[in-house]
Amino acid sequence: MSAERLRSAGAAVVATADRGGRVAAVVIAFGWHFAVNVPGIAGGWTDYRVPWAAAAGWVLFVVVGVLATARLFYGFAVPVLPLLAVLLIVDVLVIAVTPDLKIFTSLNWAWGTIGWFALLLLYDRGIGTLVGVLVANAVFGLVGVIAASPDGHGAVDLSRFVMYIYGTGVLPIALHAAMSALRETASNAAVSEAARAALESERLGAAHAQQERQERLGIVSEAAGALLHDLATGRADPADLDVQRSCALAAARLRRLIAESDDVPDPLLHELRACVDVAERQGVPVDLIAVGELPELDVAIRRRLAEPLAATLATARDWARVTVVAQPDEVVVSLTTPATAGPAKEAHSWPMNGVVDYWYERDEELLWAQTRWRAA
Amino acid sequence: MGADTMAGGMTYGSGDARVAVAIVDDHPVVLEGVRSWLSADPRLEVVATGDDVDAVLTAGPADVILLDLRLHGRMVVDKVSELSASGQRVVVYSEHHEPSTILAVLDAGAVAFLAKHEGRDHCVDTVLAAAADRPYVPPSLAGAMVGDRRSTRPSLSDKEREALLLWFQSMSKASVAKRMQISEHTVKQYVDRARIKYARAGRPAATKSALLARAIEDGLIRPEEIGTYRSYASPDRPSD
Repeated sequence: MSAERLRSAGAAVVATADRGGRVAAVVIAFGWHFAVNVPGIAGGWTDYRVPWAAAAGWVLFVVVGVLATARLFYGFAVPVLPLLAVLLIVDVLVIAVTPDLKIFTSLNWAWGTIGWFALLLLYDRGIGTLVGVLVANAVFGLVGVIAASPDGHGAVDLSRFVMYIYGTGVLPIALHAAMSALRETASNAAVSEAARAALESERLGAAHAQQERQERLGIVSEAAGALLHDLATGRADPADLDVQRSCALAAARLRRLIAESDDVPDPLLHELRACVDVAERQGVPVDLIAVGELPELDVAIRRRLAEPLAATLATARDWARVTVVAQPDEVVVSLTTPATAGPAKEAHSWPMNGVVDYWYERDEELLWAQTRWRAA
Repeated sequence: MGADTMAGGMTYGSGDARVAVAIVDDHPVVLEGVRSWLSADPRLEVVATGDDVDAVLTAGPADVILLDLRLHGRMVVDKVSELSASGQRVVVYSEHHEPSTILAVLDAGAVAFLAKHEGRDHCVDTVLAAAADRPYVPPSLAGAMVGDRRSTRPSLSDKEREALLLWFQSMSKASVAKRMQISEHTVKQYVDRARIKYARAGRPAATKSALLARAIEDGLIRPEEIGTYRSYASPDRPSD
């Protein structure tokens, strides 16, 4: 899994956690507005100074609430600050039309409800604006309480006012703060998960590279280990032509394996050049001709293309011709050399895993080997 | 190195007339070497040599001009176009055998391209074929055609492409014939047909028309095949 995909998966975790908070905010605001405010308005309908103003205010809250919900869930662009202003105006209006003695009752519904609707609008914004709205709400309420308070009730009303403000203001602020904290935590968790996964894939990459090195080491040991051992113990005679041939073969394999891990633009040509190099050092002139542009090939495919020819090239005498013809969907590598090299078998051909075909023929004059890769 | 000797059977003209060859090269050693190669063949006569195309041609008409592509440090592809347009058969030979160079030279109307390392037999056969307006495709040219990815390239049949590829790899038509399980004659026909398709593509030149005319005369292609790209669906065996 790529780091990019992990990051987006992390973002999805955050979004899921956050969605719960948004649903809670909407349920609380509308639940309160319908279950508490509707009976309040209906019950005090005759007491309101202007009953229709209270009802119109209730409808405006619903409109603002719906717009805020659309923004919260579907990203609708709505003007947040003007809508906050609408809420505050309704707030003042309801205070104004509530009879003096009913200021602390459910007739004055906007006062206790504005916090939840402001939270809907300010859910994903800084807490400062929400606090600002609640402070304004408190100030309007305070003015209303002072204006409505009959003489001698000032101290009692003030203490009720503080309780009321505390009760209506703290909960929306608490929910806002809790959801911010949750978002932060989920986001951190996603980031650290992505980092952990990146580390894990790096570890896997390193393990893979290590395995490849082990594999190459295995091939090298197979190619040269036994031969070196025989030479060291005197069991193989360096003057023996067969031993010399085996040495050339092992040298070619080693050179090609070393070239395989180099980071070069045309790795196949680079690996073939390494084999050509070994042959040329033994005094065999080699023509290496490449036409066309090589597509990007996997190391396993390159190995299948080069290895059989490299083995034969190592035993070449007189001259050799190596050609590479490349197309986007086909690469053909060929070796021709006088028929003194290579196994003396007649023509034979077999597919290598169906990806690279190998074909070998030796007649009286010419040895001709060819590997051919075709894109699946 | 099994050079192709089949073109050796194509003598120029019907009588004893020898092919007049002019050689243009700015390296005296190469000039002498190539002259000795060609003079040794009784069918050829070297009529002029030098390091300047115009000076060499004023010395007398030549059936074929063997032209080094790089003269005094300059690639003379434009000179190839000019000569080919006027009907002069040009065989370009060069140590610059990158496929793009070879294809540019063919486009310019050269009758054949020969890499300098391709040796005496190829050189003699190329000149003889050129004099008879017949295609001759040495391995380097086959490589350039088989690796051609330009959008303007002519469409070759699978057999033609395979024959070019194997000829480029092995430089032995006998080996290609064995590999493809067809006769050497058919191998040569596939290769030559591919070459003729190049004469049809690109800018017209008098030399290209001559190659096409001779190919029709020899039955290598049919007249109706000229001027349009051949469909992949049509039979791809050359006419015998």
